[in-house]
Amino acid sequence: MNEQNSVSWKNLQQKWVSRRSLIRGAAGTALGAGLLRPELLYADDDDGDSERADCLGPNPIPGGVTALKPFGIFIHHNPLNPAAPLANISDPSQITDFEGFVGLTHIRGGGTGTDTETGVSTRLAFQADMGFSQGKFIGTDGRQHRGTFAFV
Amino acid sequence: MYTGPVGSASLAQQIHDYNVHVDRNDVFWMIPVRHEAVEVDFDDMRARLRVRGLNVFDDHDLANSLTQGLGLPNPPIAGVFPVRAKISFDVEWNGALAMAQIENNSQHFKGSFLSTGATISWFAEQPGFRFQSDTPPDPKANLVSVLGREQNGVFFS
Repeated sequence: MNEQNSVSWKNLQQKWVSRRSLIRGAAGTALGAGLLRPELLYADDDDGDSERADCLGPNPIPGGVTALKPFGIFIHHNPLNPAAPLANISDPSQITDFEGFVGLTHIRGGGTGTDTETGVSTRLAFQADMGFSQGKFIGTDGRQHRGTFAFV
Repeated sequence: MYTGPVGSASLAQQIHDYNVHVDRNDVFWMIPVRHEAVEVDFDDMRARLRVRGLNVFDDHDLANSLTQGLGLPNPPIAGVFPVRAKISFDVEWNGALAMAQIENNSQHFKGSFLSTGATISWFAEQPGFRFQSDTPPDPKANLVSVLGREQNGVFFS
């Protein structure tokens, strides 16, 4: 990243922090804090107990990609590349300290969008980058858990 | 979701972006779901992910999703406040197009991986708008899909 981009990114980060605080504050009030980020409701300890209150979820993979270049927003995710051989993929999991099944898709299709106030329908395109992880992981509490996660 | 022709995905033409946001640990767009939401038969090269009525955000576009509503100066993407939405989806991975055993020492992951066919049917609704993907889903819409049985991090050894 060159100096000019670093400056831009620095400015963006400063605005981002302020905006994020605003969004989280407003969303927490208007939409309900539970909507913003639901807790880890469906992960159990490895022994099946429900002692999950201390676990705030899994940790991200250390790697990932920089999106929205040149602004350089790092995300802990390795998007699939249709042109890359399977043997050369980067870790498709978003969760680290993980053992289990993962699935990722990169699909472009079509469908119908409808304005529910006017009833007018429109042909639209979509791109879906979705997937799942199911297995055991070391949570933020340092303990082993089992969980199932959707990548949405 | 884009106003361009099917197969396109131009940021300038994006009008909806549904996701669950990055969590407090920086895990990207992952949300816990019930165990039964995922069915995997790896030996038979199949998997399915089904979720109904998941609360998500519509960030309008990827730029606003990743900048948390700031938009971008270039290309010019106006900042947009997220709105709540519900989505339902049914994703299927089916059939191996390629197989690979991977042990990646730099990224600390290893496992068995399949390049597969895949389809998705999904539905979204929010105030004033709903979307239904084509049914039945078109298998040719799949650009690339992967199914894996892997170990990473401390389980990589």
